[in-house]
Amino acid sequence: MQANDHSVVRAVLAGDKEAYGALVRTHSSAVFRVAFRMVGNEADAEEIVQETFLRGYQSLDRFEGRSGFGTWIYRIAVNCALNRLNRPGIDAAYRTGEETDPEAKVVQVAASGADPERLLLSQEISAAQATAMERLTATERTAFTLRHMEDRTTTEIADVLGIAPNAAKQAVFRAVQKLRRELAPLRGTA
Amino acid sequence: MKHLSEEELIGSYYGESAQEPASHLRACRECSARLAEMTRDLEALRPGATPQRRADYGEQVWHTLRPSLTPYERPRRSWRNWFHLRILVAAAVCAALTAIAFVGGRYWERHAAKPPRIAGANNPQPGQRVVLVLLTDHLDRTERLLVALEHADASDPVENSQLQSEARELLASNRLYRATAGEAGDPALASALDRLERVLAEVANDPDLTRADLDRLRREMNTEGILFEIRVLRSQTSDPKATPPHTNGASI
Repeated sequence: MQANDHSVVRAVLAGDKEAYGALVRTHSSAVFRVAFRMVGNEADAEEIVQETFLRGYQSLDRFEGRSGFGTWIYRIAVNCALNRLNRPGIDAAYRTGEETDPEAKVVQVAASGADPERLLLSQEISAAQATAMERLTATERTAFTLRHMEDRTTTEIADVLGIAPNAAKQAVFRAVQKLRRELAPLRGTA
Repeated sequence: MKHLSEEELIGSYYGESAQEPASHLRACRECSARLAEMTRDLEALRPGATPQRRADYGEQVWHTLRPSLTPYERPRRSWRNWFHLRILVAAAVCAALTAIAFVGGRYWERHAAKPPRIAGANNPQPGQRVVLVLLTDHLDRTERLLVALEHADASDPVENSQLQSEARELLASNRLYRATAGEAGDPALASALDRLERVLAEVANDPDLTRADLDRLRREMNTEGILFEIRVLRSQTSDPKATPPHTNGASI
C-alpha cells in the first residue's frame, strides 16, 4: 500500500490531478475517525477531512516519502483538528439542559427509554470528561487522544507531534494524571 | 518493598512496562489494586463508536474536493532547478563540516589535552565541559526565548508567531544536544535539556497561544526554574575557567 501510495504521489506531482482521488478514497475514513475523536462532532469532522486533503494536495510537493502517505496525511488531520479546537467560539460539545437554547449552547436531550436519572448522570459524566479534556494543553490532548483512543504507539505520537519519544510519553503521562485528578469526584457515580 | 510510581502504572496499563514492574505487579496486592483503579478510570474515557460513513464516503470527499484542485505542473529542468541543487549541495557541505568539527572537537578535547592543563581539570565530568562549550549559542537563544516567554502577553499574534517559530527551530537543535549530552555521559545536562524540550514542544505545537496557555506553561513547567538553570549552564559555558560549584553543575 505504501509503495503504491508513493507512486500515486509521484503521478500527482507529474501533473495527474485525478490520481489524488485514489489517495482520498483510501484514507478518508481514517482521517474522519481521528478528526471525530478529536472534535467529537460529525459536521466539524467532515470539514476537517476536506481541509486535510486540500492542505495535503497543496503541500504534496513537500512530502518526502520517508513515512507513508497515511502517516503524513494523519499528521495534517491532527493539526487541522487542533486548529479547529483552538479557534475562538468553537466548542467541542454542547451542554445539556432542561430546554434547548441554541444561543446558550444548551440542548434538551429526549429520554430514550432509559432511566432518566441514569441518563442525566451519564450526560453529566460525559460533560465532565469533555471539560477535563479541554483543560489539557494542545500537546497533552493530542498525545492522549492518539494513545488512548487511536492506539498509536509512543513513537508514532512523537512523529506526529514532532517531539522526542520520551517527551511524547511524558505528555501522555501528564494527560492521564490531570484527567484522573479532574474526574476523581465522579469516581463511584458511573 | 518499593511500590510502582504512577508513571510505571500508566506504562503497565498501555502495555509499555518493562519486565520489573510487571513482575512486581504480580507480587504486590497494593499496586495491583492501584492499577485496577487506574484501569477503571481510563476505561471510562474510552471513546464511543465513531459514526459509520457510507462505503462511498471517500468518493464523496473526492467529488467535493476535486474542483478546487489545480494540477501540478510537470517538473522541468531549468536554471532554477540547478540553482536549488547548488544551494542544497552547499547546505549539505556546511552540515557535514559542522558535524566533522563537532565530532572532531569532542575527540580532540578528550584525547589530546593533558590533564594538568585542562581548564576545569578538577571537574570529574570533562565531557560535560566540551558539550557546554558547543552549546553556548543554543543556550543564548534559549535564554532569550524563555525571557520572552516569561514576559509575553499573548495578545500580539506577531509576537506569538515569532515565539513559536523560534521554539520550533530550537526544538530540533535541542534534541540533538540532548542526545549528545546523554552520549557524553552527562545525565544532569541531558535532564535539563529534556525539561527544556518539553517547554519548547508545548510552545511549538500549540496552534493558538493564548494568555491562559502561557500562564499554564509558566506555572506547570516552571519556566522560571528552567531559565535559571539555563543561565547557570550558560555562565559555565562562557567562562571556561570557572569551576562549577558542584560536580554535576547542570543539576540544580
